[in-house]
Amino acid sequence: MSEAIDELRARVQEWLLEQLPAAPPFALPQNALTVTSDEQMRWLRDWQARLYDAGFVGAEWPVAYGGRGLGRGAQRAIDQELARAGAPFLVNNVALAWAGPMILHFGTEAQRARFLAKLLRADEIWCQGFSEPGSGSDLASLRTRAVRDGDTYRIEGHKVWTSLGRFADYMILLARTDPNAPKHAGISYFLAPLRIPGVEVRPLVKLTGEGGFNQVIFSDASIPAEALLGREGQGWELATATLSFERGASEGSAGASGMGGAGLEQLIALLRGAPPRVRDDAVVRDRLAALAIEATALRHAGARMRLPGLVADRPQALPLMVKLVGTEHAQRLSELGCEIAGYAGTLWKDPAVQGSGTWPHSYMSSFAGTIAGGTSEILRNVLGERVLGLPKTR
Amino acid sequence: MSVTLRYDEEHALLRDEARRWLAVRVTPAELRRLAADPRGDEPALWRELATLGWTGLVIPEAQGGAGLGAVHLAVLAEESGRRLLPSPLLPTLLAAKLIELAGDAAQRERWLPAVARGEAVASIAHVESNGAWEAHATTARLARECITGAKHHVWAAPGAQLLVVPAREGGALRLAVLSTEAGGVALEPEQGVDPSRRTGRVRFEGATCETLTGDAEAAWQAWRPWAWLALAAEMAGGADAALGMTAAYVATRVQFDKPIGSFQAVKHPLVNVLIAVEQLRTLVYAAASALDAGDPEAARLARMAKAAASEAYPFACSRAVQFHGGYGFTEDCDAHLYLRRALASRPALGDGREHRAAIAASLLD
Repeated sequence: MSEAIDELRARVQEWLLEQLPAAPPFALPQNALTVTSDEQMRWLRDWQARLYDAGFVGAEWPVAYGGRGLGRGAQRAIDQELARAGAPFLVNNVALAWAGPMILHFGTEAQRARFLAKLLRADEIWCQGFSEPGSGSDLASLRTRAVRDGDTYRIEGHKVWTSLGRFADYMILLARTDPNAPKHAGISYFLAPLRIPGVEVRPLVKLTGEGGFNQVIFSDASIPAEALLGREGQGWELATATLSFERGASEGSAGASGMGGAGLEQLIALLRGAPPRVRDDAVVRDRLAALAIEATALRHAGARMRLPGLVADRPQALPLMVKLVGTEHAQRLSELGCEIAGYAGTLWKDPAVQGSGTWPHSYMSSFAGTIAGGTSEILRNVLGERVLGLPKTR
Repeated sequence: MSVTLRYDEEHALLRDEARRWLAVRVTPAELRRLAADPRGDEPALWRELATLGWTGLVIPEAQGGAGLGAVHLAVLAEESGRRLLPSPLLPTLLAAKLIELAGDAAQRERWLPAVARGEAVASIAHVESNGAWEAHATTARLARECITGAKHHVWAAPGAQLLVVPAREGGALRLAVLSTEAGGVALEPEQGVDPSRRTGRVRFEGATCETLTGDAEAAWQAWRPWAWLALAAEMAGGADAALGMTAAYVATRVQFDKPIGSFQAVKHPLVNVLIAVEQLRTLVYAAASALDAGDPEAARLARMAKAAASEAYPFACSRAVQFHGGYGFTEDCDAHLYLRRALASRPALGDGREHRAAIAASLLD
């Protein structure tokens, strides 16, 4: 097995030597959540398609659905090699992390055949339609309606925070099919087409002034009945499964290649260049070291999770902690960066000062981490209840 | 920076065995009985620890020990910390490690077999009256195999039979080992906040000792990560136990018709304790694995573990007392037993602030 993995790593490295693309003439976004222009999207789709054609996307998925059917550990090895080479990210990440696994686990044969290969290759882009203006942490209170009408469902409602919404062909959509059932029981899960009449996508502007998020408004949009995933009323159960992928999937971003390591290096560089009154300040140093310690714990958490003996006491603790701790760590780190940067940290893309605004931008952006995918407050409830066995808050 | 974590079946077996034995033999009732005892530990417990092979856990096999590594040491220390084991196991194992690192083959052969067999309780006398604890800060003086000076906060004193002492001979740092039965050694118990770990003051008036022949500075540098690791692991066990008892309590204690653990004002701080404890355990086992692999990153990881432990343990215990409410303020509640150990462990081998200053210096200077 490990020989096969080593061989696979070598194959990825070799391929990258030839195929790693040069940077495009325009700026690439940092991740899939911040794609804003058509040219960015075209370029990133093309990259994912080439990676797929080379056999490096969906490595562990069944061959019958467009995967490569390789053993466990193959995709992780590939991803590590890509990260090591500084390769661009995969743009269809909602599909790869959530829609795809959901269809693979819970879809019909027809749904798997229809969707999986196309999403692996970024031939069809997916977005997520869970949150609504009135339903954030209390997701089960969602009000988007899906009314059965012959061979179709008619959708009426309003979704927010839809990354990639502007570019998406399909959405994993939660909508209420039974308004009379208790709130968790009346929800269904759809694989909804978006390029149909009655769907309007409007951009949302983030607190940083940037785009990337959208809202999607359904006005009597008609989707086929076979877009239903699972059964009517099974939506909450399926949404919970998706959210568990979501919290797990953020492992990478908080781990070795993510904000933790890189952010700390930047903070150290900032402090090394700071005037002595700041660089030698005991309080600043104490806070820097505390962040370095936490970054180290985060970096080794993934390896610890793979050793059953080291998680036997609380099997769920580390997987549930990763997102909470990683995002709060990134927030503390970038906030300290703003503070150390001082007056220079008050500039925002000032043309006279190269690179100005990175620390306030990083800090303001960090709230996406502590809010999206379960707020830190909700995650503390989840950890308290599932790991410490505390009684439910609600 | 790629430490491979190790934790195998043999480690899990030691954990399970230690956990079972400690749960039976080291109960809160026993701790309270020993707290009132002038000696503070139980000779019968020590004999059992020796029979289990734990007094020789990390002593080389050639000297009658089990020859096991840092991950085993971390496992045993964590489990001991969970039950506040009052026996001087940690100081004995760490003193033996220092003799192993600083002594030559003949010296290891002379001093270590009795320690491995459980016939000699050992400790390190390295703390100055002003709290300086690093070997180079020693004010003890060594001349012609006689040592003069004073050390404070010595674990297991006055019960220890062997002490390792850093001392200056001329300008050079030395590590000396001596029997407390030698003439010129005066031991005096301290009144400590933590009755489950006794400490004492030791005065050396020309006490006969044997200088360990190795490079004392190098041996001390090599020893510190073991000591930080063992203490941090023990503190992780204690913090985890304090967290566990508190979570169990707030899940059942009812006020305003609800278990108080359902209130976020209680739940969220306890999750913060959980995070601190689990991060500490990650650092402990990363440091232990690095030590066993001879990884150069081991020293920094062990330092980070002690820094994290110095915050996590007092934090876990303060929340334990607070969330047990009025009961937590009584002697009857076990929370203060852990709080006492946490307060005593924080400054030992450097507190969090000291270690963070050193880490920052290594990153910036």
